[in-house]
Amino acid sequence: MITGDSHELLLAGRIDGEGANQLEEEILQAMRSGARQIYVNLKEATFLCSAGLRVLLQYWRQMKNSQRLLQATRPSPEVDAVLATSGFREMLVEKI
Amino acid sequence: MEVALTNHPEDKKRLLAALNGFAQANQLPAVVVRAADLALEEHLANVMNYAYDDPRPHQIRVRLAVEQGHLLIEVEDDGKPFNPLQASEVDTSVPLEQKPIGGLGIHLMRRFMDELHYRREGNRNVLGMRKRLDPPAT
Repeated sequence: MITGDSHELLLAGRIDGEGANQLEEEILQAMRSGARQIYVNLKEATFLCSAGLRVLLQYWRQMKNSQRLLQATRPSPEVDAVLATSGFREMLVEKI
Repeated sequence: MEVALTNHPEDKKRLLAALNGFAQANQLPAVVVRAADLALEEHLANVMNYAYDDPRPHQIRVRLAVEQGHLLIEVEDDGKPFNPLQASEVDTSVPLEQKPIGGLGIHLMRRFMDELHYRREGNRNVLGMRKRLDPPAT
């Protein structure tokens, strides 16, 4: 979903090794189409592992370095446990 | 039970189905199944990505058992000698700007499982994991 410069990506299902590749593709697409804010909506993600975390981190950094924003939103409790255990909750935005 | 997989990522679906079937048959708590699912995904990703130098398919065996109130998992592969537990601890309190990209997988395995151990048996790596079936609420 796109509103102006803001893109929301909805990732459903497992963000495992293959899911992380899919996530990366979608982030890159959003970046290529000029997104200034990317929100990775995790409400339908059932699983998140380090492959997904690495993609999120890599592009969080890239966006930040060009004064743009990538954030994750609405994790389920299970996905939130992985974010918390890895010290990634800084990447979460409360609302949306 | 034992599941034989090849080192092809598609095969992970079979393992997940086997884990869920085993979990149902043994009435494992959901939190234990999720921890096992994550630890297996992390370890198998390492094995599939790094253990082999050739393009041939390789067999990976995963054993699941319940013993004395614990879920036991063993993953056996015939790849290069590789002890994932030798990786140094990750400091996850570091802010995102400085967070290291590597080591997150092992960190998650260590935090979500209660015990991990590695041994080399002949030409095989064996990674064992244990988790209490009644983990304390965190």
